[in-house]
Amino acid sequence: MTDNFEQELRFLQLRFIGKILAGFTHESKNYLAIIKESAGLIDDMIKLGKSGEAASSQFLEIIHSIEEQIERSTGLFKYLNRFSHRMDTQLSAFNCNEALEELMALVNRFANQKRIELAKDFQQDMPQIYGNPSMVQFLVFSFLEEIIKTLDKNSRIIIKTGTANGSVMIKIITDGNLLEVEREKEEFPYETYSTVLKRLNGKITLEAGAKTFTFPLKVSDI
Amino acid sequence: MSHTKVLLVDDEVEFASALAERLQMRDYDVKTASNGLEAMAIFHGSPPDIVILDLRIPGMDGLEILKNIKIFDPTIEVLILTGHGDIESVAEGMKSGAFEYIMKPIDIGELTSKIDMAMKKRISSRD
Amino acid sequence: MEQGNTKKKRLLDFVKPWLNAHDLFGIVSEDRYKRLRLRIVLLDAVLSMIPLLIVVTISYFWFLQILKDDFRNQMKWEIENSKQSIEFFVDQKLSGLRFLTSAYTYEQLSDQETLAGIFSKFKQECGGLVDLGIITPDGIQRSYVGPYNLKGKDYTNQDWFHEVIVRSVYVSDVFMGYRKLPHFAIAVKRENPGKGTFWILRATIDMETLKKYPYSMNLRENDDAFIITYDGTLQTPSRSHGNVLEKYNLPFSLHARATTIQDIIKPDGSPAIFGYAFINDSPWILVTIIKSNPYLKIPKIFKNELFIITLLSIIFSIALTFALAHTVVNRIKKADREREEAMASCEHASKMSTIGRLAAGVAHEINNPLAIINEKAGLMKDILEASGDLQKNRDKFINQINGIFDSVNRCRTITHRLLGFSRRMEISHDAFDFNDALKEVIGFIEKEILYRNITLNLNLADNIPKIESDKGQLQQVILNIINNAIDAVEEGGLIEVASGSKDINTVRVSIKDNGSGIPRDELKHIFEPFYSTKEKGKGTGLGLSISYGIMQKLGGTIHVDSEAGKGTTFTLEIPKKIGEG
Repeated sequence: MTDNFEQELRFLQLRFIGKILAGFTHESKNYLAIIKESAGLIDDMIKLGKSGEAASSQFLEIIHSIEEQIERSTGLFKYLNRFSHRMDTQLSAFNCNEALEELMALVNRFANQKRIELAKDFQQDMPQIYGNPSMVQFLVFSFLEEIIKTLDKNSRIIIKTGTANGSVMIKIITDGNLLEVEREKEEFPYETYSTVLKRLNGKITLEAGAKTFTFPLKVSDI
Repeated sequence: MSHTKVLLVDDEVEFASALAERLQMRDYDVKTASNGLEAMAIFHGSPPDIVILDLRIPGMDGLEILKNIKIFDPTIEVLILTGHGDIESVAEGMKSGAFEYIMKPIDIGELTSKIDMAMKKRISSRD
Repeated sequence: MEQGNTKKKRLLDFVKPWLNAHDLFGIVSEDRYKRLRLRIVLLDAVLSMIPLLIVVTISYFWFLQILKDDFRNQMKWEIENSKQSIEFFVDQKLSGLRFLTSAYTYEQLSDQETLAGIFSKFKQECGGLVDLGIITPDGIQRSYVGPYNLKGKDYTNQDWFHEVIVRSVYVSDVFMGYRKLPHFAIAVKRENPGKGTFWILRATIDMETLKKYPYSMNLRENDDAFIITYDGTLQTPSRSHGNVLEKYNLPFSLHARATTIQDIIKPDGSPAIFGYAFINDSPWILVTIIKSNPYLKIPKIFKNELFIITLLSIIFSIALTFALAHTVVNRIKKADREREEAMASCEHASKMSTIGRLAAGVAHEINNPLAIINEKAGLMKDILEASGDLQKNRDKFINQINGIFDSVNRCRTITHRLLGFSRRMEISHDAFDFNDALKEVIGFIEKEILYRNITLNLNLADNIPKIESDKGQLQQVILNIINNAIDAVEEGGLIEVASGSKDINTVRVSIKDNGSGIPRDELKHIFEPFYSTKEKGKGTGLGLSISYGIMQKLGGTIHVDSEAGKGTTFTLEIPKKIGEG
């Protein structure tokens, strides 16, 4: 009985978080799998009585790989942590670059599946924005998800941040061919996202020609 | 530095023993404790030069232990171990007199250099 | 075929309404607002009409009173007028006689011829004069001109003779006279200056002239005016109260000397207005009886106008009330929606916050096992670098590797939690066994049921194939319903759960309890948000409305059937594939 738009939005937002967490879990599972395999390999090596320099150097390589996976995992969980903390409050002051960085780390997997490169072009010394960071992440993700669906393999998406006219600007630039994708029942709810952005005191401009989406967001007074 | 006496306080036994062993191999004299009580017992037994302390151990609050150490002997330097994103406890720890902090998972090289720096400070402050 | 089915469906929809809360739910909330609107309109309309009607009624009667008073004043004035005219008439006649007595001497007047001459002249001027006569102090009529044979008549025994000696003036009441027509007599006494004697001049006047005075009054049908004597004998003919010299029964004794108006009830029971005035220097009283109420004609018009105005006012005020009620109820509706929205928004924020905390917790926890793996790997590296050969510390290595395995498993468990609640965010379409899902839910509340001595009967059909839907959310709905059933039966009750296939595309489950039941008029509201039959403080009232929403999302339905005191049955129907059924 509540406003359907609001209901829809909440649902979409929760779905977004679900996707992120799921994606994240799968990625970390991958790392763990590699670690396990590597450990298993060493186990085998030792139990098989391998020795000698070759074995030793292989051993060291494997150890190195394990350490690498650990580093990756740590990084991933660091992003997860930051991402999770943003869900605590509806309003806060946040740094746009950091929020996007987390998002990209957690979305990488989706892009990788299609071998689409996610690159960032962030302006340094970005001022803080006062708003709902989780919502901003949700919005950007929604557009990214849609773009990834419609982009051909081996394309590139560049997320660019900058300031212009007292607003923070997030630009999503696509570099690659667009696919003719069969539209599912639900059209991309552009209106919905546009409204959400309005609430965050921002707006979307689509430059379809250059395939860039710009979301200017207001800068906080902090 | 050779034979710096290190006390490693962490409730993850697997972690502590592996790390202790690695440090031993690097010529540090390491003892481990998995909770506050054990730590304090070792303290009164044979006090260390440096303490590596995980703030999140159960029982006695990690911060409590840090404060107690500083009261016991302010020249004993404490390095605090922390997980990523635990900024608040790091800040608190530093305020309460910790020398440095180091994130888990640890880079062994970083840890040893920090231990050495702490030791240098301890020596200079003892004199 | 398609049309037939649609028609059948529409017919079913028509028939089902009061049994099927699901169909009802679409209009239930509207219904609540409709009733509220109606209540406001009725209350407001009635309240606003009361003062209107009071004012109108008071005005009407007040106006009526004014008209009445006005009319009476008019009547009084007319009577006054007539009375004065009659008095003038009488006075005139008396003056005439007095003039005669001063203009002519007794000797002249007692001469028959002279008297006859004076009589005929006087008659010309004075209308109605019938006879004229002189009477001496001994009471004998010495000279007489007129139609009667009254010369020499002796009046000593007559009251009027003595009265005229005393008063010098006399007016008689009416009597039957010449030709059996009513007349009255007047007389004046003339003193002889210096001699100490007197004589009397008497005249008879016919009543015709007197008659015209009451008649001249403004009388309408049913009204009457006449002159009577003090004892009620009519002096002039009346329309409906008797003829001349007949007795009129006075409704009350008249004594007020001023013109008086009074309400009376006539012998036949009808009301009338009685007005009278004593006519000075005469034995007469002028009486007016008004039965017609001309002043009521005006009120009739007034009444009509008033009625129209009142009616218009009422219509206008009702229309206004409707508009007001509509606005107010819409505001309430809006406020309710906003409140629902606020609650939903709050719930959402808290959900987000919880997930955030859980996820952050996972991120924290995982640090330790990762750190362990890192250290062990590092240690192994160190050991190899120190010893140079793999086999030298093989046991040690194996130990470390096992430690790494353990930590990896630990990480797995921790991250698995993450997967657990990420799944709750979306509707999953996984296939699962419905009965198993049911039994799981029952498992959650087993202890509660045992503790409260409730009997649980499970009647699960064997042949239900797997369904593709959201197990978690479905279980949430079923759990909600069963919990409500437990609350309804309290100690020692009975809950029956039955599952089966409704048709090839739909699975059905019913949860029946023998608890207190839900009264019919509350039944319509149970799926509304914030509606709760539990005591204040118990439950948010959101459970069923959320369940309803979930069922809608899953493409299923939820029905309730209940009777106060007899128990409640909830029936869920779930399509085997989301999106169908």
